[in-house]
Amino acid sequence: MKHSDDLAHLAECASCRERFTGNVVALDAARRNRKREFTATAARLERERDATADVVIRHLHDTPPGEWPRLAETPELRNNAALEQMSEEVRRRLHRNPREAMAIANLSASIAESLPPNQYPPVILAQLRANAWKDRASTLRYLACYDEALEAAERGEEALAGFASLEHDRAVVRLVKGMILAQQERFDEAHAMLSECRQMFRDYNDIGRYVQAGLSEANTLYKGARHAEAASLLEDLLRDAIGAEDLESEARIHNNLGHCATNLGDFAGANIHFSEAVAKFTDLGFTAEVPRTEFGAGIVLIGRGQITAGLARLRQARLAFTAAGMVDEAGLCELRIVEVLIDRGEEAEARALTQNIIEEFTAAGLDEQAIAAVVRLRDAIDVDDVTAETVRTVHAFVKSLPVTNAP
Amino acid sequence: MFETPRMPPEAANEPQPDQPRGNIDEEHFARLYETNIDRLVTMAVRKFQVPAVDAEGLAHEVFLSYLKRKDEIRDLNGWLVGAICNASRYYWRKLGRNTEQLDVAVAAERPDPSTTNILNTLVARIAAGEALAGLPPRYQNILKLRYLEGYSIKEIADHLGVTSKYMQKLVTKCLRRAEELFGDSGQGKKK
Repeated sequence: MKHSDDLAHLAECASCRERFTGNVVALDAARRNRKREFTATAARLERERDATADVVIRHLHDTPPGEWPRLAETPELRNNAALEQMSEEVRRRLHRNPREAMAIANLSASIAESLPPNQYPPVILAQLRANAWKDRASTLRYLACYDEALEAAERGEEALAGFASLEHDRAVVRLVKGMILAQQERFDEAHAMLSECRQMFRDYNDIGRYVQAGLSEANTLYKGARHAEAASLLEDLLRDAIGAEDLESEARIHNNLGHCATNLGDFAGANIHFSEAVAKFTDLGFTAEVPRTEFGAGIVLIGRGQITAGLARLRQARLAFTAAGMVDEAGLCELRIVEVLIDRGEEAEARALTQNIIEEFTAAGLDEQAIAAVVRLRDAIDVDDVTAETVRTVHAFVKSLPVTNAP
Repeated sequence: MFETPRMPPEAANEPQPDQPRGNIDEEHFARLYETNIDRLVTMAVRKFQVPAVDAEGLAHEVFLSYLKRKDEIRDLNGWLVGAICNASRYYWRKLGRNTEQLDVAVAAERPDPSTTNILNTLVARIAAGEALAGLPPRYQNILKLRYLEGYSIKEIADHLGVTSKYMQKLVTKCLRRAEELFGDSGQGKKK
């Protein structure tokens, strides 16, 4: 019998194939090749991650920010591991230095787009390109450049379009896109997109992003005055956040539930949710979030005519801002209290608080224009020539000034 | 204020400590592939009726995409299942979009190519179906891959793990067998 006859028989006879396991493997060569590609790619990515630890931080540190675009040609940075580090750097700098975050996101997109097509399997190249565009979109969103941000998110989507297996990556990009659409006040589009992303993250059992997408989706509902729907979604999210022991999300969800309850006229429920949010932020040690939550609660309660409850929240916020050393925010909070007091005809307390703001701003070395504006407000109260509108104008002016605390 | 998420999406999950890192463990990845590939392919084929060849490709892509996300995946099993199910859905959505014709007037002007000339081709298609039905499953599969799904000899050879030369012989053999069966049934003589 010839060799080719053996093969033909083995190809047709299942029992012989099972007996000659070596031949079974030979018939499965395509899968073996795929497995080899997978393990080789895994090893390569891991090797790069190990070999290039901190390479991005070093280069960014040693290069003036103006020259960062030139780093795109640096061979050490032209790989997946370096791009992952850049993504992390974008995230770290987004809140404290968005301009630097932008420069790094641009560098990352430039490298990702210029990597040779044979450096990684196409699916991985698509992922790293989409991630770079997503970082750029996130940063542009943070800088309020919404049209450009949307364009960047769409580039990310394009990078992924040819790959059925990248639905999770697609949802991550579309989560950012949905947030951008919400900020452009395109609430219906944003809501549809965020809802789709939330379901996708649920499918992947990615609870962290599921809650994130849900919070953004609830925000679009809230902004569209669909308070009951927002509350219902937030209740669902709260259960998931509790299940995932995600205390920070729990706090944010309680805060948002408080806002929804206030708008739905359930002031007792709102109070409970706001208190839960404050307690959880306190447990987490988020000193800045505690007064912001109290402040937001106070404003929304007053807006709904719950003056006494609202004032109590604002007073709590003011104390917490002061305790956290956030003098400017404490002053702005006090101005909101003054506004309410003036409206209620309680000028004496309003004057005492205004004087207090002047002293605190002066002691903290805040902008002299801010201090002068509050002094004028106090003088106006003295001559009984002030309305709530006057206080609002002063508040808006002080808020518009850059923070110039003494070190 | 009403809260939106503070962190960008990439920060939603913390890295998992039990993933191989530092010492590169190719065996770990090989085991991962071997342990899960059949299940993913089977899900795509049985649950979503994705053709086997494409299901293999989808499952492989799912594994490759896992490599970029592995540090943030808390539940590997859930992630893989979610990935193959959504990949299969996307696969069909993409195919569906290519043949979508929403406008009835346009649809009338541009009829579905699969029904064009149906009166002339139907007899041949029924005959082909009968001839295929009489063949062993492996022969059916080879002829379907070659003539219905349009794969090249080399692609089918790679898929089945044989040489192109042998695959060419096998296709010829399958055709000959089909011709014999078709002739035996008396249909071929009508030609």
